Amino acid sequence: MTSFQPFGRLVVREWRALLEDPWLLSLVSWIPPLIFLLLWAIMSAGIARDLPIGIVDLDKSAMSRSLIRHYDASSALAADSAYIDPSQGAAALRAGKIYALVVIPSDLENMTLLGHPPQVSAFVNTQFLLIGRIVNTALLQAQGTFVTKVEVRKNLATESPVFDLALAGAVPVGTQVTPLFNVSTNYAQFLVAAMLPAAWQIFMVAATVLSLAAEHRRGDTRQWLGTTPVRALFAKLLSLAILFWLHGLFFLWFMYVQQGWPMHGDWTVLLFAQLLTVCASLASASVFFFITMDAARGLSLAAAYAAPGLAFIGVTFPITDMTLPAKIWRSFLPVSHYIEIQFGQVNYGAPLPSAIPQLAALGWFILPLLFSIYRARKLAESPKEDRICA
Amino acid sequence: MCMSWRDTLQHEVRAIFTNPTILLTVFGGVLLYFFLYPLPYIQQVPRDQEVVVVNLDNSQLSRHLERMVDATPQVRLSARASSLAEAERIFVARKMAGILAIPENFYRDLLLGRRPTLSFAGDAGYFLVYGTVLEGMAGAGNTLAAEVKMNRMVMSGQAPALATEQYSAIRLNLVPVFNPTMGYVNYVIPAVFILILHQTLIMGVGILGGGQDGYRQRTAPLQLLVVRTGIFVAIYWLLAMYYFGFGFTFYDVPRLAGLPELHLILLPFLLSATFLGICLGSLLPRRELVTLLVLISSLPLVFASGFIWPISAIPTPIIVVSQLFPVIPAIQAFIAVNQMGAKFSTILPLFYQLWLCTALYGTLAWWLLRSKITPPIATEGAS
Repeated sequence: MTSFQPFGRLVVREWRALLEDPWLLSLVSWIPPLIFLLLWAIMSAGIARDLPIGIVDLDKSAMSRSLIRHYDASSALAADSAYIDPSQGAAALRAGKIYALVVIPSDLENMTLLGHPPQVSAFVNTQFLLIGRIVNTALLQAQGTFVTKVEVRKNLATESPVFDLALAGAVPVGTQVTPLFNVSTNYAQFLVAAMLPAAWQIFMVAATVLSLAAEHRRGDTRQWLGTTPVRALFAKLLSLAILFWLHGLFFLWFMYVQQGWPMHGDWTVLLFAQLLTVCASLASASVFFFITMDAARGLSLAAAYAAPGLAFIGVTFPITDMTLPAKIWRSFLPVSHYIEIQFGQVNYGAPLPSAIPQLAALGWFILPLLFSIYRARKLAESPKEDRICA
Repeated sequence: MCMSWRDTLQHEVRAIFTNPTILLTVFGGVLLYFFLYPLPYIQQVPRDQEVVVVNLDNSQLSRHLERMVDATPQVRLSARASSLAEAERIFVARKMAGILAIPENFYRDLLLGRRPTLSFAGDAGYFLVYGTVLEGMAGAGNTLAAEVKMNRMVMSGQAPALATEQYSAIRLNLVPVFNPTMGYVNYVIPAVFILILHQTLIMGVGILGGGQDGYRQRTAPLQLLVVRTGIFVAIYWLLAMYYFGFGFTFYDVPRLAGLPELHLILLPFLLSATFLGICLGSLLPRRELVTLLVLISSLPLVFASGFIWPISAIPTPIIVVSQLFPVIPAIQAFIAVNQMGAKFSTILPLFYQLWLCTALYGTLAWWLLRSKITPPIATEGAS
């Protein structure tokens, strides 16, 4: 068996081995799409609606009720929890029942009519940062609309009977906010587009370690490597690469064709970037196996390497504000280079030259591949090493 | 059944502390993640996001606005374009975070009371950046609007002191609570640390449970369950104290809960996670498969736990299934008492849920161990 083996036979052998191993087969077939869909489903609402906020209305006037209606009218907020006093509301805020507590002072209407601006206080739970930000923005907008109405009414009654002038008096500078590349400010589009590649990388790394470890378990890694270790290694990596490239294609298809999210870029560039990312991920993963020669330990290392990927990807938190160690660790993760290409293509339709630095960075992952080849060769040559490491 | 409690304890301790994979996963994992996970977020809030400005007005007032935008901590005006088209090109080429457009005749329209419109654009593909940039630009824009209104009031005869007070009919005082700086570390750490404890604990227990040794065949299932759970809970109690104590202090994360409350939640949390690990370790044929399952489940668990995306917006079936994982109620309970200062009585449902998980997985673990150990009919016992 350890004699010369043609490449084609090695590949066929890989596929046969895959079909015989139900766990590995699941990991390279239906589990990734299932998790992709699950992650999408979690975020599928896209836009947060009717987040509960609590109101302490100490004024109970027509104006305060109108203000509350304005908060409630905001699609993001639901102002249906009323509390008698602030301490009761604070308890609900602490318990996480409401995301914000708005306290309307007792003299709101009087003071407003008298021209002494009263102050409404809103305590927003920012422990849940994303939700806190949504609530913050919604409160500001609702308040802005309400105040503008009050001031326009006052201006119409006093100084400027023309509506436009009354409005300009209330809001001298208008603002127009344009969310570029994600027009509906859909959170699913923003987060899922980063979550799926991060999950993809986890699958690739885990599957590579397990697939290499399977040879170890079945018997002898040395026997698998035979006299043509490089060929055997490539046959394995090629089979995995094809499968994971398909998975990459699947999530791109799902997001930008099936879901119809806007995609401005070039599919060829994206698919080429994905292919490089797959190769880079498989290369790094094979290092984890070759330095541990053990499924569980290799997988533990792979977990440490790939699991925090999403944090380093730079979508949830900007790369420009990362410290140097974070940037260095980030550069070791193929998917963080890939995501820049994906966002560049999908959002901006950036020309190919702008993707070259990232593509080149992915090219550097030839180094872990060379290391794996070197280890595989050593292993094939030395008959005992395999057993010692085990 | 010839193993005494002491023998079992000795065997289990030896099995755990001589297993490099468990040591690597438990101690290595907990320590590594302690530094790795918060690493990207150390700076807490994004600052000085680069924005390109298109000033078609070029008046003294519009330049004043530019300076005000530039002075905000969130935004830095780092490029200038002469037209919107050019601004868009610069934006894409240099990967800027936003565009500020000041329209032609901005100053004149403002003086004439015509209400000119400022345009802000941000890259909503990156949400945190988008929010930050808009916050900065809108803040400066509002300040300018307030200044204009105050000027007008003063010009129409108001006392300046009154004008500064009355530029808005009703003021809104937004107070961020529990995470007043809106920092990212304070947001991520409290939840992710719980997840790390949960995941590495299950992996560690699972790896041990997978390996079949002769001596375990001679141990009473209940005895093995109690001893093994005791050891892992003890190890993780120390690691949890390290996270909650040193860890939170190190990263300046507030701790509002009293120690008794933390211990009270830790007990069912660590018990249920250990039992779940024993179940997985007994159910799965190979020890690395526990690691695999834990690894795959991490991302969905983080996003289903409700600290990133509101539970009310997540499909109900996913929420229902997620309740089976001890980490979900644990994250919610720990954040409520430790970050938000909730009274223990308000998290009682979560506390009971953790005990329910403990009972469920405890029984299952015991049953699984028994069915694995009781029939030592030469098939597995020999190895």
